[in-house]
Amino acid sequence: MKKVSKKALNKSFLSWFYGNLTCFSQEHMQTFGYLCAMLPVVEELYDTKEEQKDAMQTYTAFFNTEPQIGTLVVGMTAGLEEAKANGEAIDGETINGIRAGLMGPLAGIGDSLIVGTLIPILLGIALGLSGNGSPLGAIFYIIVWNLLMFFGMKFAYFKGYEMGGKAVELLVGEQAQALRESIIMIGTMVIGAVAASWINIETSFEIPGIIELQSTFDSIYPKLLSGVTVIFCWWLMTKKKISPTVVMGILVVIAFVGVLLGFFDPNLSY
Amino acid sequence: MEINLFQAILLGLCACLSSMPGLGGTTFGNYTLGRPLVAGLVVGLILGDIQTGVIVGASIQILYIALVTPGGTVSADVRAISYIGIPLSICAIKGMGLDASTKSAQDMAAALGAAVGTLGTVLFYGTATVNLVWQHVGWKAVKEGRFKQLYLVNMGLPWISHFICSFLPTVIITMAGSSMVDLMKSYLPMDGIAMKTLFTVGSLLPAVGVAILLKQVIGKATDFLTFFFGFTLAACMGVNLIGAAAIGGFFAVINYKIQMLKVRPAAASYDDDDEEDI
Repeated sequence: MKKVSKKALNKSFLSWFYGNLTCFSQEHMQTFGYLCAMLPVVEELYDTKEEQKDAMQTYTAFFNTEPQIGTLVVGMTAGLEEAKANGEAIDGETINGIRAGLMGPLAGIGDSLIVGTLIPILLGIALGLSGNGSPLGAIFYIIVWNLLMFFGMKFAYFKGYEMGGKAVELLVGEQAQALRESIIMIGTMVIGAVAASWINIETSFEIPGIIELQSTFDSIYPKLLSGVTVIFCWWLMTKKKISPTVVMGILVVIAFVGVLLGFFDPNLSY
Repeated sequence: MEINLFQAILLGLCACLSSMPGLGGTTFGNYTLGRPLVAGLVVGLILGDIQTGVIVGASIQILYIALVTPGGTVSADVRAISYIGIPLSICAIKGMGLDASTKSAQDMAAALGAAVGTLGTVLFYGTATVNLVWQHVGWKAVKEGRFKQLYLVNMGLPWISHFICSFLPTVIITMAGSSMVDLMKSYLPMDGIAMKTLFTVGSLLPAVGVAILLKQVIGKATDFLTFFFGFTLAACMGVNLIGAAAIGGFFAVINYKIQMLKVRPAAASYDDDDEEDI
C-alpha cells in the first residue's frame, strides 16, 4: 500500500500556494503551477521514470480556476493519484474529468466568496482604520488576510486529499449553497456600507436664495447622488453589457458636461 | 518632488511581485502587495511619506475594492495602479502643493490611478505573452522527463518576463513622471475645465468599483434591498464598516437557518458549527 508522505504533501501544497499563477499565459493559465504541485506527489508514488512521465501527462491538461479555493482540487487529485497508484479503478482520464468539472463552479464560488465578499469586507475594515493616513489598516489587512488564506488553503488541501472524489459533494451540495448565499448577504451589506462611507458625489448647483440642490438632496436621503451613480453604473454594466472601461469613459463625459453646466465644481486652487 | 533611481528600483521590484500573474504568488503578491491600500503603505515607506502614501492608496483602493479577473481577463492592472499610479499621484499632490487629506487631492489620485491602471493592462498581456516562451521550454522538459526543470519554468524564468514588462516600465515611468507634474502645473490651471473635469471624474469613479462588485453579488432585484440596507446603515445612521459587518453577520445566520430548514427540516439545528468554514 503506497502512501504519500506528509513531507511531500506539504511540499506540494507550498508549491501550489506560491506558484499557482507565477507562469501564467493566456493559453495555459495555471497548468504549470499544477504540474509543479503534483511533482512531489508523483515522484514519491512511482519509482520508474516511465510511470512518472505517464502520471505527469495527466496534469498537462489546461487548468484554471480561482486558485485559492482551487487548492481543494489540488489536494483531491493528490488523494486520487495515491488511490490510482494503489491499483484502484481510477485512471488519468477520471482525474481530469473531475478536475475539468470542478474548475468552473469553483471559479464562481471563489470569485464571489473570496474576491467579491471576503476581500471587500477586510479591505472595508482596513479602510476604516486608515483614516488620516494611519498605516494600521494596511497592517491589519496584511496580517489577517495572509493568515486566513494560508491556513484556509492548507486546510482545503488536506481536506481534499483525505476526501478525494467525495469532496465534490461538499462543494456543490445544498448546504454549501445555503452557506454561500448567507455569506454573500454579509458581503452585499458591507458593500452598501462601503459605498455610503467612501463615495462622495456632491453637486454645487444652486440658484442663490431659491435653491441649493445638495442640501435638498440631503434632506431627501443622505448620499442620494452616490447611491444613484452606483445604480447607474451597475445598470450600464449588467443590463447594457457595457465594459467597466467604457463606463469610466461615460463618466468622464458626464463629468465634463457637469462641470460646464456648473453642476459639479471641485473648488480648486493652487 | 523627485523619485531617485534607488527608489524607482524598489518600486520596480514591488511591481514584479505584486502583479497578476505576479512573482509574490497570488495570495501575498496580487492580493496583498497589489492592493492599493497596502501599496500606499509600501510606496509611502519607499518615498519617505507614509501618511500621504496611505491616504492616496486608500482613495484608489475604493475604486478597486473588488478587482475580479474572471477567466484571466483584466480591466485594470494592479502593478500599474499600485506602483506607478500611487507614486505619480503622490508626486502630483506634492508638486501642486495640495493637502493630501483634502477631498480634491484624493479625487485626483483616484482619477490618475484609474487612468494608469487601464493603460497598464498592456503590461498584463505583455507578461502573459512572454511567459509563453517559458511554457514552451516546460513542455519539452515534461516530454523528456526532466521534471526538476518545471520549478525553473514556473518560478524562475518568469522573472525575465517581469524584468521586461514590470520592472523597466515602472522604473522609467516613475522617474520621468515627477517632472511631468511640473509641466501639468504650468499648462493646466486648477480652475480650468480640464482639471475640474479630472477631479470630478475622480469623485465619480469609486461608483464603478462598487458597481463591478455588485455585478458579482447581485442576482435578483431584491438583492438591492440588502445593498441599500447596508448603505442606509452607513449613510443615515453612521454605522461604520465593522458594525455593518456585524449586523450583516446576524442576518446571514438567520438566512442560513431559514435556508437549511427548507433543505433538511429536521437536521437544520445541527449545522450551526459550519458557519466558520469559508
